[in-house]
Amino acid sequence: MKGWILPKNSLSYWLRQLRKDSDLIGPLRTPDGDIVFESVEKIHEIVLDPPASLPSVKEFFLPQYETVFVFKTDTVRPIQEKRKRVIFGLRSCDVAALRLLDRFFLDSQPDPYYSERRKNTLLISVVCNRPDPTCFCVGIGAGPYLKEGFDIQLTDLGDRYMVEIGSPRGRRAVREYSFVFQRPRKTDLEDQFEVQLSSTARFQQRINLEGVRSLILSQRVDEGFWQEVANRCIQCGGCVYVCPLCSCFTVTDRVYQEHIERVRLWDACLFKGFTRLAGGILPNDAPVSRTKRWFYHKLIYYPEGIGGFGCVGCGRCAVVCPSKIDMATVVLNIKRVSENAVSG
Amino acid sequence: MKKVPTVCPYCGCGCGLFLHVEGGRVIGVSPNRNHPVNQGSLCVKGWNCHEFIHHPDRLKTPLIRKNGKLIESSWQEALQYVAKRLSETISRYGPDSVGVLSSAKCTNEENYLLMKFTRAVLGTNNIDHCARLCHSSTVGGLAAAFGSGAMTNSISEIKDARVLFVIGSNTTEQHPMIAMHMLEAVDRGATLIVADPRRTKIADFATIYLQHRSGTDVALLMGIMHVILAEHLVDRDFVMRRTENFHAFEESLREFTPERVEKLTGVKASDIRKVARVYATEKRSMLFYAMGITQHITGVDNVKALANLVMLTGHIGLPCSGINPLRGQNNVQGACDMGALPNVYTGYQKVTDPKARRKFERAWKRRLPERAGLTVVEMTEAALEGRLKAMYIMGENPLLSDPDLNRVREAMEKLEFLVVQDIFLSETAEFADVVLPAATFAEKNGTFTNTERRVQLIRRAVLPPGGAMPDWKIITGLSSLMGYPMQYRDTYEVMEEIALLTPSYGGILHYRLDNGFGLQWPCPDRDHPGTPYLHRKKFARGLGTFLPVQFRMPAELPDEEFPFVLNTGRTGVHYHTGTMCRRTTVLEREEPEPFVEINPRDAEKLEIREGQRVRVSSRRGSIVLRARLRDNTSEGVVFIPFHFREAAANLLTNPALDPEVKIPEYKVCAVRVEPLEVVKRPKRPRRVDIEELRIT
Repeated sequence: MKGWILPKNSLSYWLRQLRKDSDLIGPLRTPDGDIVFESVEKIHEIVLDPPASLPSVKEFFLPQYETVFVFKTDTVRPIQEKRKRVIFGLRSCDVAALRLLDRFFLDSQPDPYYSERRKNTLLISVVCNRPDPTCFCVGIGAGPYLKEGFDIQLTDLGDRYMVEIGSPRGRRAVREYSFVFQRPRKTDLEDQFEVQLSSTARFQQRINLEGVRSLILSQRVDEGFWQEVANRCIQCGGCVYVCPLCSCFTVTDRVYQEHIERVRLWDACLFKGFTRLAGGILPNDAPVSRTKRWFYHKLIYYPEGIGGFGCVGCGRCAVVCPSKIDMATVVLNIKRVSENAVSG
Repeated sequence: MKKVPTVCPYCGCGCGLFLHVEGGRVIGVSPNRNHPVNQGSLCVKGWNCHEFIHHPDRLKTPLIRKNGKLIESSWQEALQYVAKRLSETISRYGPDSVGVLSSAKCTNEENYLLMKFTRAVLGTNNIDHCARLCHSSTVGGLAAAFGSGAMTNSISEIKDARVLFVIGSNTTEQHPMIAMHMLEAVDRGATLIVADPRRTKIADFATIYLQHRSGTDVALLMGIMHVILAEHLVDRDFVMRRTENFHAFEESLREFTPERVEKLTGVKASDIRKVARVYATEKRSMLFYAMGITQHITGVDNVKALANLVMLTGHIGLPCSGINPLRGQNNVQGACDMGALPNVYTGYQKVTDPKARRKFERAWKRRLPERAGLTVVEMTEAALEGRLKAMYIMGENPLLSDPDLNRVREAMEKLEFLVVQDIFLSETAEFADVVLPAATFAEKNGTFTNTERRVQLIRRAVLPPGGAMPDWKIITGLSSLMGYPMQYRDTYEVMEEIALLTPSYGGILHYRLDNGFGLQWPCPDRDHPGTPYLHRKKFARGLGTFLPVQFRMPAELPDEEFPFVLNTGRTGVHYHTGTMCRRTTVLEREEPEPFVEINPRDAEKLEIREGQRVRVSSRRGSIVLRARLRDNTSEGVVFIPFHFREAAANLLTNPALDPEVKIPEYKVCAVRVEPLEVVKRPKRPRRVDIEELRIT
């Protein structure tokens, strides 16, 4: 892997060139001060120092609502998006999550919709200099910077970016405009290392998912604990919707006068109807069985099936959960409860 | 992809969210992380509010009934026809033969214009909307006590409160983001008191839960106040300096000893004492209530009792200290503020006040009617009696939402002319002579006012489908055809007119709402920052007034023939008559069919199993639905959500009205529950051998 230096002055030029055949997505400030990913009209409006935890970019690969095909009595027309995209400013946790989602959507039975979008999207991720209080990717190896798996990874060194290339797609995007990039000097590498060190040191919470996994597996977390968690849950589905690794969807048909659209929508295992059976039977009618399952899926089943935890420590569930039963809080509670049990 | 900041169209919380737009379609939603109400969260309805916008059932062209069938027509034809028929009705029977229902789902601007149209063009005060059915008791009760009927605190104050007293509100399911703030307060050590005949989720976090009998709220509150008085917990200074009529009120409490109240309400006297002590002694006490208080024939009395309680303890007029009616619809506060009510113009200026009337006459250049008009339920009566000949309904569905539906249907059938303006062909629209296709919240600009009086901007994200038009454009078009041109470039011009005529909205203009999260009224001028909590230093009417109330039992009590009390309400995943949520995949999947909640002990006596079909009947109607055995209602009480047209709870409900504000008693009526015979399974068909089928 080779590094390059991109002066911040040249960033807008480079992005403008990349935008010529793609839709450029980046973090923009909304009128009321929130920051969201959307199509960039004016490149200078991109927020270069956004908070660490931005909304997930999952929606650009698995949209909340998409028409997958349209059919009539005798014809079926698949809808496939061919649009090319460049996503600028996403974080390491998002890139790490996409790598895991790839295993779900691309291994064994590839999903053509996801696969097409993945192929057509260039990711330019930015290393977190200042993680948010809700972030805990560092303990999981999903951030604040990555060693591999990205297309292009930028590290903010003040007036310039250190640019690392991690894929052929990334290499093309740099090589084509190589005249705006420079060779890094030794001091650049030292600066980059310092950013990595200081960012890592800034995390406010260290969360050991492996420890909690073994606590659960060794039956040290009783049903009462999960009941308490479930009591607080209002089944909004927010944690699932924002989780960059939750990939559940449902399909439904929209019947128009002339044609029918097969639609795929985000779904969540926290809904009792998610497992509704014929005859109206609800195997997971008790909220505890659903809430608990979400955590089990992330902590136990994911490592078994996909390899790696079903959590990258992005902390988005902590932002979105109205009841404060996000991954970090629950995991820390499990640890506290079991430690108390041991000491008591 | 574009992300358009706007406001959720479901409940009165008024959560900030982004609509994700790509290729002219809304394809997703995400919460606004800085918004003071939802702070980055949403409930399941909010997360899914994108789906109904492009539903194939959306109305796309005007429809006119010809030979009994609704036939597609052009806008010109439809509006001309409406104008002609309305004019004819007025010239034949007089202006008061027309009734108008405005909508708590539509924007302030649209409510204002329809109100103006009704009064200035049709020439009647017969305009009302669904607030009649939810919080008219609040508007009546609190206006009498304080001079203003709205939530006195802000949602963001909740987390800092020390005591939260929630009565008659299923907050977790109906105002999920307010419940989030309550949960945070509890986590920080606040005491939560919940009183509700039906034990809902919010009770799980309560320190004290009181399960009083349906319809005994006045008695319960009088009991609590009796203890406060007897134990000298009254805030004497507050009572002396800021209120009047205390002595008359004091007398009214005399008989309500906790022991007597225990007999009336079923709540233990010791619990009543405990609640009184906790609520009165802790400062920073917030009171919350909703339909459980208002939807009774004693609705106004219930609200007055609550107002007395906060004045008695001095818990009002400060941050984290006040009385908070949780408004249901996204813009029900705004629709009331805009004067979509039969007795007031915008900002609650009375139509009977000659000064106010003259002001509006000068601004609108028309003579305005002097007498107050008819309320929702009175319109039904008037139609049945033949006094009301035509109705114009914007975004409401009385054929599912009003009490005693059989009568409502009869009334609608008697009308000579019915116009319905909606986004889907609702139960009511199916009855209409003309149906006008309207735009959703995602297809127009305007403002919603949430339950904490926050006026917020909604922004157009996509164009309406087909020929559908924003409600305000339909009204202005119709008005022009009826000889009263209304010309506005966009809704910001309407808002300017509202600000000019409405003191509490004086400084609320679109350009001020563009950045940030709106303004809370009263906001009298353009430099005013808005008012987070009401009644600071003095009440809107000067002194707060104690209003003695009498305890009365509900209008219809169980007897031998109808031995159960029926309580109605909503579920967490559906909203009112379901026009939007029942067209949303995951919401409909959560609760796809009507059900009745019945206590397991009652079920056992009646030999009803979980999921079994039962018939529930009242004196007015009868429905069939599945039983759900739950112990969150006490024995003798059943609960049915009113979302479902398949088994409409309102076929059963009692249209008995509160004498003052005419709110129907949705929360109590007498019903009978009968299990339907279990249908024996047909015998298993004989297994057919493949060989037999082979044609030989």
